[in-house]
Amino acid sequence: MLKKIFVLFLLTVTGVALWQSFRHAPFGENRVGDVENPETVSAFYLKHSPETLHTANSVTAIVVNFRGFDTLGEVTVLFLAATGLASILYRRKEDEEEEGGHLPVRVKLKSSTLVRTGAKILFPLILLLGIYVFVHGHLTPGGGFQGGAIIATGFLLMFITYKRFNVNHKIMVWLESLSGLAFVLIGLYGLVAYGSFLQNIPWTGRLNDLISGGLIPLIYIFIGIKVATELTNVLDTLMNTKPRKK
Amino acid sequence: METVLLILHYAGLFLILLGSVFLFLGALGIYRMPDLYNRLQAGTKASTLGAMSTILGVGLIQPSWFIKLFIIVIFIALANPLSSHALARASYKAGVKPIITSDTDEYAAVADEAGRPKTEKNTQTL
Amino acid sequence: MIFIVFLVIMAVILIAAAVYSVVQKDLLYAVLGTGVVSLVLSVFFYLLQAPDVAITEAAIGIALTTIIFIITIRNTTRDEDKYSEDLINRFKPEEDA
Repeated sequence: MLKKIFVLFLLTVTGVALWQSFRHAPFGENRVGDVENPETVSAFYLKHSPETLHTANSVTAIVVNFRGFDTLGEVTVLFLAATGLASILYRRKEDEEEEGGHLPVRVKLKSSTLVRTGAKILFPLILLLGIYVFVHGHLTPGGGFQGGAIIATGFLLMFITYKRFNVNHKIMVWLESLSGLAFVLIGLYGLVAYGSFLQNIPWTGRLNDLISGGLIPLIYIFIGIKVATELTNVLDTLMNTKPRKK
Repeated sequence: METVLLILHYAGLFLILLGSVFLFLGALGIYRMPDLYNRLQAGTKASTLGAMSTILGVGLIQPSWFIKLFIIVIFIALANPLSSHALARASYKAGVKPIITSDTDEYAAVADEAGRPKTEKNTQTL
Repeated sequence: MIFIVFLVIMAVILIAAAVYSVVQKDLLYAVLGTGVVSLVLSVFFYLLQAPDVAITEAAIGIALTTIIFIITIRNTTRDEDKYSEDLINRFKPEEDA
């Protein structure tokens, strides 16, 4: 009884506090603002991404340039998730040898010749599409995260088609670490040279050129490599985990 | 030049119409067909042709997009039959039976070599 | 007008697939339901003029998340009830002690 009264009291207090704080919030008003009104944030982004940064895709300009520090955080979150998964599913070599070899039980049945040939043809095309998406991140929709995910799906196709398709873990880890490091180094360069972390260089090229937008395409290429290698590592770790013994 | 563009435009519209008809027939086939293999066949054949001719029609209407759309068409032509082949093979090996029982099952000999699980369900005549 | 009708139909499919994947006891079908949710969602993102998010949703939501869940199901149990039984059995106090 006392507990129920206490819960009711707590709910009332929370409700009153929420009502008090949100009473004056202008719900339903257009707070994003007009594109023409120069004082709103969206107008600032839409004006400055083509004019001063010369990036055709203003989403990329926001993600990599105006909010570049948040993107670094996102990449770190992804890195932590991949590391956590690998450390949970980590298995020592001695344990594996005790259980009799460490052949991954990936697929039980062999894929048919058609599927294997088709996957072999499709795999470089998917890689090419992924690379296209993150190289053209500042011109067309897409970017590092999207391109990286597409490349990871290409590796996934090979993982489920071929029994013995293995990625070189050392190269993957090195690529991932180096691209992450390069992102931070670019940020530090901005800090040293222009006084602000991830500050873009003044030379930004022409609008709609492949090499334009200053450091934006470079950063997105590094993000693409990092995301692709991370997701591939996650898939590889999961695929090589043995099923639980019944 | 104008007439060529006009002819291309109408050819594109015709291709899009053809593609829509095939896509509709594919959907109808998936709805009407009795079992997995028939549905897969109807869905794949009709939707491959439908999607390909629709995309090619768009390419004829907008000639500047044609190369990219042609690449997409090649991709569909590669990937769509492949995926349906993999689906049909996997379901055959999992023991899904066709609805029409006939004595001919030419895949059985090949499939047994490839390690088809021998269960009660599979040893019945398909 | 027809655009709004299309959006409403898509939203109904989205909600139906989400409810299906919550209610379904067979975890494999539930995962396929989440895949359908991702598919409709990516079409939604594209129609509402966010192609960047649509590409992400298509690659990650449809392909990667679904396959990761399927691998996990293959390594554990497919049936939800059986899984909870396993969990209960594992943490049940021993009767002898």
